[in-house]
Order: sequence, then C-alpha cells, then structure tokens
Amino acid sequence: MSLVVDSVSKKFARFPALNGASFSAPQGAFVSLLGPSGSGKTTLLRILGGLEVADSGTVRFADLNWLGMPARTRNAGFVFQQYALFKHMTVADNIAFGLKVRPRDKRPAKDEINKRVTDLLQLVQLPGLEGRYPSQLSGGQRQRVALARALAIEPRMLLLDEPFGALDAKVRKELRVDLRRIHDHTGVTTVFVTHDQEEAFAVADLVAVMKDGRIEQYGAPADVRRNPKTAFVSEFLGA
Amino acid sequence: MSKRVTKPTEDPLWLKLTLGAVALAFVAVVLVLPLVLVFKEALAGGVDAFFNAMTEPDTLASVKLSLLAAAIAVPLNTVFGIAAAWAIAKFDFRGKTFLVTLIDLPFSVSPVVAGLVYVLIFGNHGWFGSTLADHDIRILFALPGIVLATIFVTFPFVARELIPLMVDQGRDEEEAAATLGASGFRTFLMVTLPNIKWGLLYGILLCNARALGEFGAVSVLSGKIRGETNTMPLHIQLLYDNYDYVGAFAVAALLAMLGLLTLAIKSFLEWRYADELAASHRH
Amino acid sequence: MSAVGLKFAPLKSQHVLPGFRLSLGFTIFYLTSLVLIPLLALMLRPFELGLDGVWEAISTPRVLASLRLSFGMALAAAIIDSVFGLIIAWVLVRYRFPGRAILDALIDLPFALPTAVAGIALSTLYAPSGWLGGILAEYGIKVAYTPWGVLIAMVFISLPFTVRTVQPVLAELGKDVEEAAATLGATRVQTISRVMLPMLYPAILTGCAMAFARAVGEYGSIIFLAGNLPGISEIAPLLIVIKLEEFNYAGAAAIGVVMLATSFVMLLALNAIQSWAARRR
Repeated sequence: MSLVVDSVSKKFARFPALNGASFSAPQGAFVSLLGPSGSGKTTLLRILGGLEVADSGTVRFADLNWLGMPARTRNAGFVFQQYALFKHMTVADNIAFGLKVRPRDKRPAKDEINKRVTDLLQLVQLPGLEGRYPSQLSGGQRQRVALARALAIEPRMLLLDEPFGALDAKVRKELRVDLRRIHDHTGVTTVFVTHDQEEAFAVADLVAVMKDGRIEQYGAPADVRRNPKTAFVSEFLGA
Repeated sequence: MSKRVTKPTEDPLWLKLTLGAVALAFVAVVLVLPLVLVFKEALAGGVDAFFNAMTEPDTLASVKLSLLAAAIAVPLNTVFGIAAAWAIAKFDFRGKTFLVTLIDLPFSVSPVVAGLVYVLIFGNHGWFGSTLADHDIRILFALPGIVLATIFVTFPFVARELIPLMVDQGRDEEEAAATLGASGFRTFLMVTLPNIKWGLLYGILLCNARALGEFGAVSVLSGKIRGETNTMPLHIQLLYDNYDYVGAFAVAALLAMLGLLTLAIKSFLEWRYADELAASHRH
Repeated sequence: MSAVGLKFAPLKSQHVLPGFRLSLGFTIFYLTSLVLIPLLALMLRPFELGLDGVWEAISTPRVLASLRLSFGMALAAAIIDSVFGLIIAWVLVRYRFPGRAILDALIDLPFALPTAVAGIALSTLYAPSGWLGGILAEYGIKVAYTPWGVLIAMVFISLPFTVRTVQPVLAELGKDVEEAAATLGATRVQTISRVMLPMLYPAILTGCAMAFARAVGEYGSIIFLAGNLPGISEIAPLLIVIKLEEFNYAGAAAIGVVMLATSFVMLLALNAIQSWAARRR
C-alpha cells in the first residue's frame, strides 16, 4: 500500500527535467521535495498528479499502476501555487466541484455535499465563508479554500506545488502548521514541493533533496540534516 | 507504462481534428473564398482586360479621389489621435473614462448614419444648408463631404491604438526629459515618438485601409458623380451595376491587394514588435 | 476652447509635462465638432416631426420590416459568429499547426477588405450561377436576393470581432484552472462546460455585442447580395439612403435615431459587461 516511484524520467523540448528519480514512502507519509529551481521537483509532482506524462519509469501506489491512469481517475488532490480557484464560483461551489462532477451514481446527495463543505471550511478554519467569491478573499484564505477543495474529493494522495510561495512569511508559517495538523487528521499520503528548506524540514516526515532531475538524498529530516551525503546537499542546507 | 495517457489539458485527437476542420472550413468558405473570387473575376477577361479597366479615365479619377480623401483624413485623425493619447495617458482629469468612450463612439455608429448626420447639417434642408448655398460653398456631393465622411468612420483608429500603449508606458521618461530642460515639442519628438512609433504606424495603417475602403458614409455624401465624386468603392458599385464585372473586380482587386498588404504589414508588426504595440495585440 | 480646457484641469498640479490644455483642448474641439454636434443634429432632427410624426415615420410596414430584418439578422449573425469565433479562437490559441500564423492573419480580412469589395464578391459567389450559389441551388436554397443574403454578409463582416475578443482572454486563462478541474475528477467536457466557458462568458458576450453592433449598421456588403426587395430583404440603413434620395430628411432621421439609439444601448451593454467581468476578477 505504499508509494513507490521508480526511475521516472521526463525530457522537455531541450533539457531533461527528470533524470531517473526514485523514492518510496509508506502510506500516509508526508514527503517534502526540496531543491533549487530547475531541480525537477515540480515536474515530479506534476507527473504524480497526472498533469505531465513521464517518458519512462513507473509509479506504484495503493497497488495501482499510477502512471497508467489519467489525472481524473487518480483521485489525487492538487494544490497550485497560484490557487487556481474557479473565479466565477463561490467558495462553497469551488469546494463542492469535485463532488458535483461525479457520475450520478457516485455523487453524494445535496445535503451531504453541503455538510461536507461546512465541515471542510471548519477544518481549514474558514467557517461561514461559503457564499464569498475568491476575489473577496486574501491570499492565505484562497489557499485554504484550494486546500479544502482538494480534500473534498477524499483524495488518495495530496499534492502541493509551492502552495505558500505567493504568501508572506507570517501567513506561510500559520498555514504550514495547519497543513501538518490537517495531515495528521486525515492521514492522506502527501507530497509537498518547496524550495524553502525550513518549511520542508518543519512539516515533513521524509525529505527528498533534488538536483538536476535526480534525488540527491532522501530520508528523515533529522538524518538528512545531520548527515548530508553529498557536497551539494550540505551546501544547499548550509545556505 | 502499459496504457497511453495524455495530459488533461490536451484535447483528444478526434476533438483537435474536428475543431481544426470546423475552424479551417469556416474561414475558408466565409473569408477566403470571396477573396479568391475577387482576383479570379478581375482576371477573367485576361491580363490585358484587367489593365485596360484599370487605366480607364473614370477609374483613374476614382483612385485619385480616394487617395486625396485619405491623404486629408488620415493625417487629421493622426494628429487627433496623438493629441488625445497625450492628454489621456500623461495627465489625470475628471471624465477621462467618458472621453475614451466618446472617442470610440464612431465605431458603433452605422456608416450610413454617419453620412446622414452630415446631410442633416449641410444639406439643402440642413442647419447650414441655406447659408452655404448663399455663399456658393459646396460640402455635400463634393470633396469636403467625402472627407468628412471618411474622418468620421476612421475617427478612433489612431487614438485607440495609442491610448493603451501610452498609458502602459507611463510618464516617467517624459518627466525626466522635462526636468532636464527639454521643451515640450522636443520631449515628444525625442522621447515619446520613438516609444510609440510602431503603434502609431499600426494605427495609421488601419486608418488608411478603412479610409480608402469606406463605402456607406461616403455613398450618402458624395452624390456619386461619375469621374468627379466617385471614390474607388463607389466606382466599384457603379461598374457592377452597369454589368461591367471585369472593371468592377479590377478596382476591387486593387483594393483587396491594398487590404492584403495592410494585413501583411500588420501581422509583421504584431510578430516583430509585439512588445511595442498595445497590450491587446500581444497574443 | 480654453474654457472647456479649464473645466478639465488636471486633478493634481504636480505635472512638469507641458501640453495638457493644448492636447485636451484640441481633442475635445475635434471630437465635438466632427462627432458630437453632428450626432446631436441627428437626435434633434426627428422632433421637428413631433413624437407622433416620428412614430408615424417609423411605423410604416416597410420601415418596420426593415428594422425587423436588420435587428433579427444581426442578432442571428452575432450568435453564429460567437459560436464559430469561439472555435476559431480555441484552435488558434490551443493548437500548434503549420499555417497557424496565416489563419490568424486571415481573421482580420473583413477589417481590411472594403465592404464594397466584399459585397460584389459575396454577390457573385452566392448568385445562382456562382461557386456556392450553384451548390446551394441544387438543394433548393436561394441566398442572393433573399434575407439569407443579408445574414451571410453580416456573418462575413462581424467575424473578427468575436474571434479577437475571445482570443486574448483565452490565451491568458491559466492552464492551472483546467488542471485543477481534471485532478478533481472532472471529464474534459465538464471542465470545458463548467469551468472554461463560464470564465469566457464576458469575452464571448462582449464579442457578440460588438458583432451585433457592426452587423446592424452594415450597409456596403449587404446591398449587393440582398437584392433589396422592400419588405423582404431591405435593411434599415438602405432605407435611410432611399429616404435621403427622396429628400425625406425627417423620415431618414427617424430611422437614423433608432439606429443611433441602438448604438448607445450596445455601448451601455458593453460597459455593463466589462464592469461585471471586472467584479469577478
């Protein structure tokens, strides 16, 4: 039931973005992909989410051939750096979107959906904002709504792409703490991309330091910090 | 990877092919076919017939008149466009948004209505009709009427191109020049103009194409006197109504070539100087 | 004009830049004398007839038929162009294929091609002996000299408005909303119908309104193709021309006012759409 990423590679028009990245994590783990820009961490995350197609390599998750499934059937919640909220929908409609697009036989009843929305807003600490539009919210609030929307589908996996990158330091810290709390509450396997090592080490159970499309070092935050395996890792963490 | 999966933002091949075919077919039938037909009909009687039609005295007179009308209307609208853009982009004042809306107004008025308004003012039964008649000044059914009609329908072209461009560029550079002691005219010539030259050219180009091609407004005001007050588009109508198809399509082909040339230069400017044109063209 | 210039004095007087009064003064003078006063003349003119007179001038069967034809066909043309304009904009923005730049440039053809040229070309094309007219005639469809001719000419001249308003908005619409919809389990059709299209509605509506405004006022390309049969294929702008040729100035002005009022309503509608769209951002 674990997540196994095995030598995943991806080439864009010119440069290779991923060069055989491999790691594995137990079900319910919180993994941070950490690295400088261009290290391939976002590409790896987008491949996990089904937003990019890998050239080679395999991913097995929950006994599924993960890369053989289209994004829409993976049931992986994805949180974007720029929120990607649906501007023409209220907060409630945004959160309920993933439930409302299900085929009729799998769609929860209306009351059920409303209750789920209320609960999720409670969970992300935005109770009562159902009727607002995204344009009426602050950046931090928008990202909380985006998180609630991703959680509404009861995802098998939660993927976050620099989710706090557009927010100021104070809000980042609050959201980071909340994210960890929500993870502990839901227990969903989470992969989190960041270039901020403090953030990566603070929230994750496992940290993968990436460089040039490969994973340089992978392990528990304390181990990685205590024993950097390569010059790059020690330099990157020292900076 | 056993199954072929695609990115979710990528349309499936059948959809791509369907939409692509629909778009191409629509453009081909609605836009391209009429264009091809113009050239085919113009050359239907052979190249000699085409050139004979082109050098016919009344045709030449219509070409001259159209060029003359455009040569008056386009510079006037260019000066107006620059003045309006300068005032709107470089200063803040009340009623600015309203002014911009008013400048765009001629675009949404029917060309025939544009012709009509001048008839109501300068016509025999118009506001100034009798005064003009007393002094033997002819506006309607003469060059001034044609120029007025042309100015009205091409009114916003240069202004609408320059306003967003100059608003985007702000006023820092001009203010710097002014604090360095440059005169207003010098500042405009040395600082503003180089920044807007491609946008200006773009606006003038569109203005000119429309000026040479205007039909509705001019047809109301010109009186359509063969060889005298017939512009090229009006001459096309006259020839066509007289079943001189080769002649009509010959003049049409000339205007069509001019249109194509305008399109070519416009596309080139959009491609080469995208960052120096108004934001709306940066696609 | 200096009096007007003064009324429009800059809000802040910190400007070192010269030419405010000159440029604004000229702008207002030029705009007022060439556009606003003439339009005012049109608006005042019909009232020489009195309201009853205006109504009488407009309510003849021939005028009413022409207004119905102009407005009805313009609406139909705007809707047709909105649908195909959206498809063309989608193809231009989303797909890469050889000749895309040429297709893109061709969209502006109706802007660049004078209406009289378009008129005789369409007329020849759709005449019973023409390339398309011949094909359609085999199916018993007559275009030239019927209301359909009006529609076809309007579709031709209005197409760029719908493509060119949707295209930049579609290009700026981030792919991440689309991706978000997909990760939430939406099918491609659901993503397009529930996420993409609603986000494009303001642009589609704007394009549709602009296409309508252009089509209602169009004259040159239509009169060659439509045959201009009174009560059947005679458009309102043509009736203005006819009234003028009969020296019936008030009658022409009455129809002109209706057309002008439409222009104003469309301008207001466009502004309303813009502010609606801005509020959702």
